[in-house]
Amino acid sequence: MSLLDKHSIRQSENLERTMKSVQRWVAAAIVIGLMVGSTALLAGEMKVDAATASEAIAQAEAAQKKADSVNGEWRDTGKFIKNAKKAAEAGDYAKAIRLAKKAESEGNLGYQQAVSQSELKIPSYFKAMYQ
Amino acid sequence: MDPVEPMQTQLLTATGRETMKKLLISLAVLLITAVSAQAGPEEDRMAFIKYYKSKFPNVPMEEYANGAYAIDPVGRENWEAIEEFPPYEPFIDRGQVMWETPFANGKGYKDCFPDGPVIAHHYPHWDKKQKMVMTLPLALNQCREANGEKPLKYKKGPINNILSYIAFQSRGQVVNVKVPMDDPDAVAAYEDGKKFYFTRRGQLNFSCASCHVQNTGLKVRTEILSPSVGHVTHWPTYRSKVDWSTVGTLHRRFTGCNKNIRAKPMKAQGPEYRNLEYFLSYLSNGLELNGPGARK
Ligand code: HEC
Repeated sequence: MSLLDKHSIRQSENLERTMKSVQRWVAAAIVIGLMVGSTALLAGEMKVDAATASEAIAQAEAAQKKADSVNGEWRDTGKFIKNAKKAAEAGDYAKAIRLAKKAESEGNLGYQQAVSQSELKIPSYFKAMYQ
Repeated sequence: MDPVEPMQTQLLTATGRETMKKLLISLAVLLITAVSAQAGPEEDRMAFIKYYKSKFPNVPMEEYANGAYAIDPVGRENWEAIEEFPPYEPFIDRGQVMWETPFANGKGYKDCFPDGPVIAHHYPHWDKKQKMVMTLPLALNQCREANGEKPLKYKKGPINNILSYIAFQSRGQVVNVKVPMDDPDAVAAYEDGKKFYFTRRGQLNFSCASCHVQNTGLKVRTEILSPSVGHVTHWPTYRSKVDWSTVGTLHRRFTGCNKNIRAKPMKAQGPEYRNLEYFLSYLSNGLELNGPGARK
């Protein structure tokens, strides 16, 4: 069993806290799902061309910047954007758009993750130590 | 008198009592939350010690300076073998040369630090004039720049030599970090570091505490997660891991831990990591310095 599994088991022991974060992540997932879904829908009609790719990259960069502004950027977001740019330059616009969308969603998630913790909260497993 | 009246009063007081009870409960909850969120450095340190003591009742306090090897008997045996021929030794020697070699302007580290190289235990500290946490690597670079030298890089390379020399000379000194509680900026820096420590980051949504408190003693890949009390006593540290195979700084380690959870690391010696170091170092107050260290 990996640490990640143990971690989630432990987390679920604290139902209330988990519910709260589940709600947050579900909300985030719905937003992203909608975004991904709508892009998938659009992609059918939308042109996979240089302009679309460069628009997607611009949006990814904006999301990255927003996450960074609250110290919430994830490790690979920048790499995805860099690779999206490379793909666009090489004319692989489908790949560029896919990577840019991935980076954009990471940027949004990282931002939400940080702002949802703007207040310091001592985790439940540690709180009792202060008594 | 209307016979209904006492009934009503009774009912009213009953709901009143109920409300009162609820109010008291939420007040108590609030109080508990407030206590832990506003606890000062000493309360924090005691809370960490209490936590680890209950998790590892047989580990004596001074052992925490040995990191994971205080709680991992197998890793400890390897480590003791490595310490017989310390891999960090050449770096100490190179650091001594750096310490003694004057800069281009004829001055040297000795002029910036006239009390000699036994100074590691004075860091990190709150620098009232610059209104920021002063760390040893930053102080060394400020000395260089004041003397017209280029600053050294903060994660890899020669800064680790001079840090190794100072760490070795400072062995046996006791960690004694102070947070001047009458200086709101200093308290804010400490609090900022504490918040960083407890904030979940990256794609894996882990905080420092997720690994080094909640899961201390468990294995991640091949390593046992160390307690945070003792995290700062032995820097720089030689790691045998292939992409290190050399001594590296504490902020290089922070960078690695942030990357492992797929978060973008902060800048080494930027305000975030210095404040984190301030908080983390306070937790080791009372432990002896034993750097440079060797780890897996
Ligand atoms: C995914 C789990 C994980 C997270 C999260 C994590 N670390 Fe680590 N950390 C490790 C592992 C694994 C090691 C190596 C084994 C050990 O010594 O604990 C380590 C080692 C360290 C060490 C060196 C210990 C020594 O004795 O040399 C320090 C210091 C440290 N971590 C600080 C932090 C800080 C500060 C954070 C938060 C920014 C953090 N870690 C987050 C897994 C983690």
